[in-house]
Amino acid sequence: MADHPHGEKPGWADTKTFRTALLGVLVIAALAVAGAGFLPQFQKEHPHFKVEGLGAFFAVYGFVAFSFIVLAGQHLRKLVARKEDYYEERE
Amino acid sequence: MGADSLISALAMNPAVILSVGAILGALIPNGYAAIRRPLMLVFIAISAFQLDRLGLGAYGALSFFGEPVTMLRIDRLARLFAVVFHIAAALNIVYAWRSRDRLQDFAALAYPAAAIGGVLAGDLITLFVWWETTAVASVFLVFGPGTRATYVAGMRYLAIQVLSGVVLLAGIALVYRETGSFAFGEIGLRDDAGALKASGLVMLLAFGIKAAFPLLHNWVQDAYPKASFAGTIVLSVFTTKLAVASLARGFPGTPELIWIGAVMTIFPIFFALIENDLKKVLCYSINNQVGFMIVGIGFGTAASINGAVGYAFANIIFESLLFMAIGAAVYRTGTSKATELGGLYKTMPLTMIFCLIGAMSISAFPGFAGFVTKGLILDAAGEANAFWIWLVLLFASAGVLEHAGIKIPYFTFFAHDSGKRPKEAPPEMLLAMGVSAFLCIAIGVRPEPLYALMPYPEALADYHPYAAYHIVEQLQLLLFAVLAFAALILVKWYPAEVASTNLDTDWFYRVPGRALLGWATDAVRAIWSLLWRIFSTRVADAMTRVYAVHGPEGALARSWPTGFMALATAIVLGLALLIAFAA
Repeated sequence: MADHPHGEKPGWADTKTFRTALLGVLVIAALAVAGAGFLPQFQKEHPHFKVEGLGAFFAVYGFVAFSFIVLAGQHLRKLVARKEDYYEERE
Repeated sequence: MGADSLISALAMNPAVILSVGAILGALIPNGYAAIRRPLMLVFIAISAFQLDRLGLGAYGALSFFGEPVTMLRIDRLARLFAVVFHIAAALNIVYAWRSRDRLQDFAALAYPAAAIGGVLAGDLITLFVWWETTAVASVFLVFGPGTRATYVAGMRYLAIQVLSGVVLLAGIALVYRETGSFAFGEIGLRDDAGALKASGLVMLLAFGIKAAFPLLHNWVQDAYPKASFAGTIVLSVFTTKLAVASLARGFPGTPELIWIGAVMTIFPIFFALIENDLKKVLCYSINNQVGFMIVGIGFGTAASINGAVGYAFANIIFESLLFMAIGAAVYRTGTSKATELGGLYKTMPLTMIFCLIGAMSISAFPGFAGFVTKGLILDAAGEANAFWIWLVLLFASAGVLEHAGIKIPYFTFFAHDSGKRPKEAPPEMLLAMGVSAFLCIAIGVRPEPLYALMPYPEALADYHPYAAYHIVEQLQLLLFAVLAFAALILVKWYPAEVASTNLDTDWFYRVPGRALLGWATDAVRAIWSLLWRIFSTRVADAMTRVYAVHGPEGALARSWPTGFMALATAIVLGLALLIAFAA
């Protein structure tokens, strides 16, 4: 959560109302498109791959891919992260 | 070649018109620097007018050492890149309208000019000349801030770019040996029997260095972020896209490119995730985005080439927009580090809105430029029945959303409040960002003009980006990825930004490579001094001996007794007698 220097009021994007509303809209929209995937009029007539006809394949794949990138990717730091002035000391 | 025909061939070339503009701009005295950028815009307008006036065709045919060369070939592929390069150059000039830096201003026009010359080159000699000019003109942008760090980064950048040019020259020689012509058409990696061609391999390497293929990619992250806030934006557009245009011309349908491109879409995602400098995040994004284009070139169908170059067109607009938004934040706050930014939406709301439009475009939300072009590449993977490549591209699309769609706007304008309350970006920056944002939406809502500009418009007759299934599939992918982000933030699993330097392939030449060079220098110096010591000792010894014999005290300096002379004469006479007798 944001802190508020200078004793000012929280900005519109930092209010709980905005965050809840944004999350609500996101969840409803996501569920709506996931549901739409099961309706024949929103499906490809001649899918290239079988998985495209599974209704919510893209939803599941998007969620899993994003989570994997963030949860697995952060461990790359252990391998490659160095001090900020790493190169300054060496050049 | 005749002087007249050379002059007329040069005068009609849009790239030469722009180069003249860059030189004239640089000659303007500092007291009148305010007219430099308007003058540059005028030259871009003249050049664009000339491009339009000439229309499709080949111009400027000349003879070079008896070989025909075509300095200017405007076909559909070249025209698409030339058009978007003009747009990008003009927007970048407006963005940094208040710049009064003679060298930066020169580079901001000379470098796009060279890239336009490169995409319009009809032969390999002309391509080589412009290829090297992009390297030399653009390095001034890297040198821009004038610190030691930018100087050494600029030299590294120049070395790699010139290396690409040298490899290109070798490739041109091999192509000429093989075909007997300098014409720039399809080169291909394999001959008719399916064996790898040396000419193809060398040309692919030359193009691959500039396109930042995997393991050859790190010059982008090393050099681009070190330029000034405006210089980085100019740099982000041209070099890699000139390479994409060259690959689309020389290597369409090369299956190896599908895998190279697929790797390019994946690995930058992870580096972008952990990178703290948002300019560098966008540089990784360049690698990732060019990967999509290269996959499209690799499939080599009319539709996939349309997708690759159409995506390049759209990408130049929205990637520039993202760089401009971060550039505005840097201009106002002096930093592009995620750990030092955040909460800027309160005082830079317009920049935030433009940044979000760029973010939604690059993520390929329906209604924006990415959606109507990227779909062509994914469709090509489907048409080719390349299931794993298709899955990789979808995975990479979720990755684009993570680092360019969410991370860039989130950590700059929202996230943890940095307490910084900078002024909104200046009007000229807002104008450049506003026009870019407008183009992102205009292309997204009405892609037909862009489709008409693509190399094979007939292949788009049955393509409907706004088919219901396409919208639903894409929204499922993106909205659930955003949902994953929201969930990770809520459970506090999204990693905090950390101020760090992350090693990448540049480490090999910046640390062990540098150490090896230092060691080699020391070794050469030691060997030289050893050889010199041996040589000088021997010379000194020899001189001592000569002195001992010939010096004032030496044996040869003594006065000889008469008896010795008589004896010596008798010996010589005796020897002469023996020889005469024997003969």
